[in-house]
Formats: sequence, structure tokens, C-alpha cells
Amino acid sequence: MTAPALPALRRTPLRRLAGVDRLAAAGAVLLGIIVLAALLAPWIAPYPDDGGSATHPLEALLPPSGAHWFGTDQVGRDVFSRVLFGARTSLLIAVAVLAISGVIGVVLGVVAGYAGGWARDVIMRVTDVFLAFPALLLSLALAVVLQPSVTTVIVAIAVTWWPWYARLTASVAASVATRGFVDAARCLGVPAPLIVLRHVLPNSLTPVLVQLSLDGGGVILTAAALSYLGLGAHEPTSEWGLMVQQGQTLFTTDWWVVTFPGLAILATAFAFNVLGEGLRARLSR
Amino acid sequence: MPRYLIRRLGQALLVVAGVIVLTFAVMRLVPGDPAVAYAGPKATAAELAEARRRFGLDDPLPVQLWNYVRDLLHGDWGISLHTRQPVRDDLFQAFPASLELVGAALIIAVAAGIPLGVAAARYKGRLPDLSVRLSSMLAVSVPVFWLALALQTVFASGLGWFPVAGEYDASLDRTSPLHLYTNITAVDALITGNWPILTSTLSHLVLPALVIAAYPAGVVAQMTRAALIEESSRDHARLERALGFGETAVLTRFALRPALNPVLSLIALVFAYSIVNGFLVEAVFNWPGLGRYAADSIRSLDTPAIAGVTLLVAVLYVVANLAVDLLQGVVDPRVRAR
Amino acid sequence: MRWHKRLLAAGAVAAVTLTAAACAGGKVRGAADSTPQPGSSASAADSTFVYVPNLDVVTDWDPASSYSNEIIAMENIYESLTRYNPQTKKAEPRLATSWTTSSDGKKWTFTLREGVKFHTGKPVDAAAAKAAIERTIKEGKGAAYIWGAVKKIKAKDPTTLEFTLKYPAPLDLIASAGYASYIYDTTAASGDLNKWFNEGHDAGSGPYTIDSWQKGQETELTLKAFDDYWGGWNGPHYKKVAYRVTPELTTAWQLLQRGEVSFVQRLNAQLFAQAAGTDTVQTSQTPSFQNLLVLFNTAGGPLKDVRLRQALQKAIDYDGLLAAMKGSGVAASGLVPEGLLGSVSGMTPKQDLAGAEALLKEAGYGPGGKQLELTLTYAQGDSDQELLVTLLSSALDKLNVKLQAKPLQWTTQWDQGKSKDPSKRQDIFVMYWFPDYADAYSWFINVFHSEKDVQFNLSYLKNDAIDKEIDELPALTATDPAAAEKAYADLQNKIINEQAAVAVPYVQNYQRAYAKSVEGYVDNPAYPNVVFVYDLKPGA
Repeated sequence: MTAPALPALRRTPLRRLAGVDRLAAAGAVLLGIIVLAALLAPWIAPYPDDGGSATHPLEALLPPSGAHWFGTDQVGRDVFSRVLFGARTSLLIAVAVLAISGVIGVVLGVVAGYAGGWARDVIMRVTDVFLAFPALLLSLALAVVLQPSVTTVIVAIAVTWWPWYARLTASVAASVATRGFVDAARCLGVPAPLIVLRHVLPNSLTPVLVQLSLDGGGVILTAAALSYLGLGAHEPTSEWGLMVQQGQTLFTTDWWVVTFPGLAILATAFAFNVLGEGLRARLSR
Repeated sequence: MPRYLIRRLGQALLVVAGVIVLTFAVMRLVPGDPAVAYAGPKATAAELAEARRRFGLDDPLPVQLWNYVRDLLHGDWGISLHTRQPVRDDLFQAFPASLELVGAALIIAVAAGIPLGVAAARYKGRLPDLSVRLSSMLAVSVPVFWLALALQTVFASGLGWFPVAGEYDASLDRTSPLHLYTNITAVDALITGNWPILTSTLSHLVLPALVIAAYPAGVVAQMTRAALIEESSRDHARLERALGFGETAVLTRFALRPALNPVLSLIALVFAYSIVNGFLVEAVFNWPGLGRYAADSIRSLDTPAIAGVTLLVAVLYVVANLAVDLLQGVVDPRVRAR
Repeated sequence: MRWHKRLLAAGAVAAVTLTAAACAGGKVRGAADSTPQPGSSASAADSTFVYVPNLDVVTDWDPASSYSNEIIAMENIYESLTRYNPQTKKAEPRLATSWTTSSDGKKWTFTLREGVKFHTGKPVDAAAAKAAIERTIKEGKGAAYIWGAVKKIKAKDPTTLEFTLKYPAPLDLIASAGYASYIYDTTAASGDLNKWFNEGHDAGSGPYTIDSWQKGQETELTLKAFDDYWGGWNGPHYKKVAYRVTPELTTAWQLLQRGEVSFVQRLNAQLFAQAAGTDTVQTSQTPSFQNLLVLFNTAGGPLKDVRLRQALQKAIDYDGLLAAMKGSGVAASGLVPEGLLGSVSGMTPKQDLAGAEALLKEAGYGPGGKQLELTLTYAQGDSDQELLVTLLSSALDKLNVKLQAKPLQWTTQWDQGKSKDPSKRQDIFVMYWFPDYADAYSWFINVFHSEKDVQFNLSYLKNDAIDKEIDELPALTATDPAAAEKAYADLQNKIINEQAAVAVPYVQNYQRAYAKSVEGYVDNPAYPNVVFVYDLKPGA
């Protein structure tokens, strides 16, 4: 989520961004609120136990009211509290996927870009293979054969996500590797690993970081879809996709059970996408 | 040209080989025993042994992989565990319906996305621009399964404007049987002049196609806008303005065509994505396509079927990309030198 | 130039896919009807009864071994000698018009209806009935055990069928069973009959015959009227029956609301309440003999430890579940539902989290101890089972037990349960059970009697004392009902309390919703989920 996005933000202060793009600023604010909600969920949720394993079947399916802003679900849990706790699950998945696939992608990408030759060919052909699968499809196949859990979701998505970063980093690293200061280092006899670490890597990171911040929305949507298909988080974990799946038979009668978690997914993905778009526009200028 | 063709073909084959290996690897991770699953719980030891021989499960992994590839090439995609039919037949039956749905969705996406993108570019920074950007961002951020449920509840169940589920009114099979040529219901109904089925199919198509169209429409609108803005700041646009063309004319007459390059480049990309996105939508609308088949397969832990779907979509994607590159190579000699 | 490339891209994708799709051209959909019969235009479509199940319909077409969801179709294709009437609680004539029994109850003589034909054209006579029942007994699959009392069958003349029994048994009731009681033409195929059946053929005598069957399709199965049905086709009847598999309850309900389908097998409580207030729809609620069994794996995995099984029994929030189900079920007391011989009172379970925690601690698990990980499988699309899973996994979460629950298609769930390799089986198996005829024996002989190859003993219980007591039940029921009652009570105490092989959270209420135009529907809980379509009138 924000871990990769933050450094970029620091370089582009919010106020300046806001001047350029109100939509991106709105996204940043929205995302901030969601992150805060996730961090503070145990303290701000009206019924923190409902985010976990509490159930109150006698209060099942109460419509939204002062006591339950978003109503209650089929076993009487406060939907608002579960939506707040669900933010933790979603953001955790997003951070983990982006971190894992970012690291794998950058490492392989830098190697491919700097080394060139057959190493580059092998790595690029492997990414070709992975990129031939739409992300959701391969994650789906993986999630079916692994036991459904949050970890499975993270692994399944990360497996399909890293090739993008590998490609991006490889192309940037390849151009960095031809720059003067790298040549200079090479002439001075600096060993290759050190050149990669000191010079190529730091100078190849920025586009990947921007790309990572752009992809948060995609990860959250994919994770929600996997959970919706029953391949991800399971009860009693608060997870938005799972909440939609569990409540979908109630849509016509008790709309609030499905509507609010769906809106939460929408809002989070929207915040990521808008912010990422703004960042990209800003940095590519 | 032949050298380029061979090289590009070789690359594609390599990727397809990789796709097969990857699919094979994923499916071999399955905890269950395919022989037991196939032979069924009533199987005797002999039947089980026969199933193991049939699947070659006693062979070393590389041999199994080789057998898998050989079977695929012979058109044997395995037997689905839940339909008990060859996966290939199942796929041939389900795929046209998915194609119909995604095709309709892409048409909607282009028809809506490009004009919206033009409008946004024309009024850059003003209200139309902001609202187009906002709505396109929402369109790419909305979880499709949720949107499908919402539209179904509101427009089919609540307002009754559209049918709830299915591809067309099944009772029409009796009153106006459909001759199949492409296996795509809407297309076949159109070419055989079967109006009852055509209208029924189209009305069933609206909601699921709209849901699937959300993402590509959003992307197309954004890309059109961005490309137009870039294009209209180029020299030729300045010249056109100097010649007295209005802003709208500059955009639509001169800038639009070159700006559509990147937009169309998206279509191929978005196609495969939409097919998979359609998986989630088909389940809700009970659309008899790949998605429903995949969803059923998931609930039945039907690994041959899941492998089949995965492979089909991935290979389709690779082949389409290859075809594009080759045709492009014919048109533009520079490409071959790449 | 990129412009061209992308145009080509779109074109190439379309071309590739079109060629792929075009391979199977030239057929006609709904081929069975490709030659429209005179007068069968719009009105023919109107007299189709569309049944919406939430699970796949057919797993086994063989009337000898069929023992699953396909009963909803089988009962319209095949007939048995008698049919159970839930109002009179007696068997009524079906293929047999009358029957007599000797005073010691060991000899039964059935008189068969005359002029009845199988769909194959062959007459239904005593010899054919004998052959069918004998094949079913010989195959010994599914519910074939119901004929366990039969020693000898004799076709005295074409309309007289005589059974000699090993011990007295209510054969008229047994012959009304929903499974394994079908009379079919055993000479229908020249080769392997079972194979022929499972290609989608039938050899019954019922009002409908298979029209088309496409496994995995939305409209999986359609049946059409059998012209020579003995009941005749005068007066209003549905001429076709379609089974349209719809996993999503909401979709099923919306289809019904819009008049696209005739009958929905099952809705959740909220939709059922909405259905009751909808003008175009009728509803019916009937208490059933169907209860939910939560079967614990007594043979392998962590639940081999009886203390853990008892802890699980105590962890289920029975009252909460019933409250959340809002009327779609009633509390269960023991294994046998009320209304059957053998039901006991005072066995209604209660949640006891402290007790569960103590038992877990004793076994080394629970809060502060090792984490216990359990797998559970249940039926996909069943919202009541979903509630159970949600409540149970929440309760267990507090007890440091992680529940891995998987919703599956029935066949998959069952196949996994029957897996020969014990390590591939689940720890907890959730399923419904209902008797094959109106008698409690079915729960015991099928679910808790040890089996060489697992069929329905999905708790894998293997206890000689229990087996022996179960084996004595049929004779005891016929000779000494009071002793049978005691034996049933004792068995339930052993299975539920001592062995803790199962938890029984509720007995289901059948909640059906169907179109206003359907006239004459009566729910017959002895044939779970079956609609006898021939008995209905298509109204306006």
C-alpha cells in the first residue's frame, strides 16, 4: 500500500500535487483515511469483537441504525466494524503482494538489465510465460490447488505480479548500465555486484516505485475476487470479498450486508488508482 | 522476412511451451490423486491401476509432462471430473458464449469510452473532464462481482427492465430452434434470421456486458483523453488552429486518428483480461460460458477442467499476440529488424 | 504504423477466436425438437414445468444404485410399487393396485396394475418387476439395503408378485422408498445396462422420459411426456419438465419472481419471507424428516481423540443457529426427527464453550495450548450450512481452533469423504440425511454402521457393539416396537454422547416457493425435494 508510495509522496508534497490535480489529492486523502481506519480499527470500531470471532445470532440482519451504522450481518455482527477490520486484511494483502513481487521483480530485473546476454534472455522468456496468463486466471488456478487462506492469496497474486516489475526494472537498468558513471566505476575495477548495488539499483528504482503505487488497486480487486470465489480468507476473518460472497443471497432483502463491503473495495481501489495516476502524471512531466 | 517469421514463431512456441509446463506444474501440486478422482470411489484396485496407467501416474515426472504435451497435441485435454466429458468438448461449448459476452462488452466499451475521452480532452480541466475522469476511475476500481450483483438486483429484479439470468429464453429452443454455425448464439441467430432468439439473447446480454464493459470503458476513456491531449499539443495541431479550425475540429478531425493508436493497443490486452473478469460475472448471471464452467470446476476441484480453461485463455492470448506481430511484420519492414 | 498494428491486433484476436468457435458448426440447438410437431408452438412451451435446483441434478442414472440429488428427476421417470402418503402415513397404490400380507407378516402379495408399459415398450409385469428388484438387490449399491428382509420373489402370474421374507417387515412401506424401489426394464440394453443408463437413457414406466441431458449445462435435464403412460394425458398436465441448475439463491428467486421458472427447491429465510408477500408466487412450508449431520472423523486425524469431538459438539451455537435461520429449521433432539419411531426427547444439544475449552485443554489444545487445525466440507450454495460454518468457525476461533471450511459440489464433497486414502479425508463432514422410507433405520444402517468401502459412514465409525445393535433393529421394529424404541434410544446415546461421532444441529423445514400458476402442489417429505409433476395442473 503506502510503503512503496510514501517516498514518492515525500518528493511531491501533497500541496503541490493538490494544486495540479484535485482528483489525485482526493485520492490521497481517501487513502489516508482508509489507512488510518485500518490502523485504528480496534479502537474506533463500535464493536471491535465483531471484527473477529464474536457472533450475536439473535441480532441478525438488523437494518442500519444509530447503533449499527451499516446494519448487522447474518449472524448479527456489526457490518461497520467488520468493514473497518476488513481494511486491515485488504491493505495487508496489498502491502505483502507489492513487497514480495516488487523485491523479486527488481532483483531479477536488475540482473537481467545489467548482465544482458543469456541471463537477460532466460529471465525475459520466463516473464513472457507468466505474462501470458491474465493475473486473476493464474492466481485462480493456484488458489484452487493450495488451501484457501490469506497467505494463499498473497502467494497466488505475487506469483503473477512480479514479472511486470522485472520487465520494467530490466529496461531501466539496461539504460542505466550504459551511463557514464557505471562505465567509470567499471573502469576503476569496482566489482560487478557492487556496481549493481551502488549504482544501477538505486537509479532504477523510481519507475518501479511509481508502478507499485499504481498497482495497489489492482491487487486489492484481485484479492477481493479470490476471496469472493471462496479461495481466499475464510471465516471469521473480516475480508470484504468474503463478506460480499457470504451476503450475496441477501442482496434483495438485506442490501446493507453486501453494499458496504463492496463500497469499501471500490473506495480503496479508487483511492489507489487515482493517487497512482496523479503520481505518474506528475513524475512523467 | 522468413527469418523474422521463424524467430517470432520460435519465441511464441517457447512461451506456449512454458505456459504448458507452468500449467502442468500447478496441476501437479494438487493434493488429490487424479486416478482416484477419475476412477471414482467405487473403483476396484484393478480399475484404479488401469486409471493410473491411463494417466501414466507411475511414470517419472518428465515422462508425465511429455505425455501431457503429446495428449494436448492430439487434442486430448483430459476428462472433466464434474461433467465426465472431454474437457476439449466442454471448452468448445462454453467458449463461444464467453466470446459473445466479452465481444459485446468490448463494443460497448469502445462506443462509450472514445466519445467520453474526446469530451474530456475537449473540455480539459473543466467539469466534463473531471466527471469523465472521475467516472472512468470508478469504472476501473469497481469490483465486478459486486457491480454484477447490484445491477442484477436493481435493473433485473427491482425494475424488471432486463432478464435476470441465462443466455436466452430456453423455451425458444422449442419454438424457434437455432442452427449453429459459429456456436455464438447472437451471431448465429443474426445470420439465420432467427429474430426471437436474437432479441432474447440481446436483452439477456445487456446487464452482464455492461458490467464487463466497465473496466475497458474506463481504460479506453482515460487513454483516449491522454493521447488526445498529447496529440493536440503537437505542431500539426498548432498549424490547424492557425488555419482557423475550431478546437473540436482539431481534436476529432486531426488528433483523434493518431491518438487512437495506443487506445487500440489496449483492446488486445484488455480482451484476455475481460474474459477472466467475465468469470466472476458469468457466475452471477448464470451465463453458460467459460466462467460458469470455471466456477463449477472450482467447486468440484476439477483440476483437468481448470487446467483446460487456464491453458485455453493463455494460449489464445499468445497466439493473438503472435498473429499481430506477424501481420505487423508484413506491413512494416522495420519491425523485422528489431 | 502502430495504428495498423493495433487494428490488426483486434482483427487477429477476433479471427483466432472465430475459427476456434466455428469448428463445431452445423448443428441445431434443441435438436430433439428440430421438427416442430403440429400444434406445438407457443402453448407447448407454456406447459413446461421448470424446476430450479441449486446443485447438479444427476450423479447416477442407474435406478438400482441411484442415491442422490437425481431423485427429483427419477421419481418422475420411474415408479415403485407403492407411494407413501404423508397425510395418512400409509403406502398407497402406484404400480401395485393392492396388496395383502400373511398374518405372520412374512409373506406379501402385490397385485400389479394392468396395461402398464415401460418407456422401452415392454409391458410392466410381475416378471419384469421381479427382475428389476432382484438386479437392485444383486448390485447392492445405494439404498439396496431396504430389500434386506427379502428372501425370495416369485412372479406367480403377470399381475401377481409374491415376496417371501426372512423376518417380518413392512414391505408396502419399504416398496414406497424414494430410492432402490424403482421398477425398471432390465432388458433395456443388450450390453452393460449400468453403462447404458449412465449415457442418459432410462427404462422406467413413469409419466416422463428423458428428453435431453447435458451435464454441466444450466438446463441440465429436460424430460418429456411418455405418450403411453398408464395414467393417460387427458386433462391439463405439464408435458415437459426442465431442470435449471441455479447455484445462486438470489438468482433463483429473481427467476421465479419474473415468471421464468415454476418451482424453487430452496430459498433462504429472508427470500422466503419476501416470497410469501409476493402476489405472483405461492409458498409452502412443511416440517421434514431431513436433519443436518455434522460428522466427525472418528478414524483419523486429530478428531480420533473423542475429547476433541465432544469439544466440537459443545462449540456449536445451536440456539444461535436456529435464531439466525429464522424459521427454516427446528431444534433437533437426537438423530431421529419427531414423528418417527425411535425419536427421543431431551437430547436437544446446547452450546457450552467452557466445557469445550476444558476438553480441548485436556487434549493439549485450546487457548494457550497448541493450535488445532481442522478441515470441514459442506454443500456449496446452502445458506443454512453457511450459517453453521460461520458460527462454528467463530466459536472455534476463540478456542484457538482454526477451521478450514470448503464449500463443494455434493459429488466432490462426497468423493473426498469416500477417499480410500484416509489422509485425504476431511475432519468434519456436513450433510443432510433423510430416511429412504418413513423409518428411522436409515440413519443407523447407512450412516453409522461400519462399511468395508465407505459410502455414507462419513464419520468412519467402526464399533462392533453398535453394528450388532443396528443389525437387530429391523426385526425388532416388526416384532417388538417397545424394545425397538429402547434400542434406538440406546444407539443414539452411544453414537452421540459416548462416541461423539456426530452433532445434529437442526431438522429442516422445507420452504418451497413456486409460481402462482402451478396448481395442486403438495410437499411430500418422504420424497425429499421431489415434485411429482404429473399430479400438477398448469394454470393460467
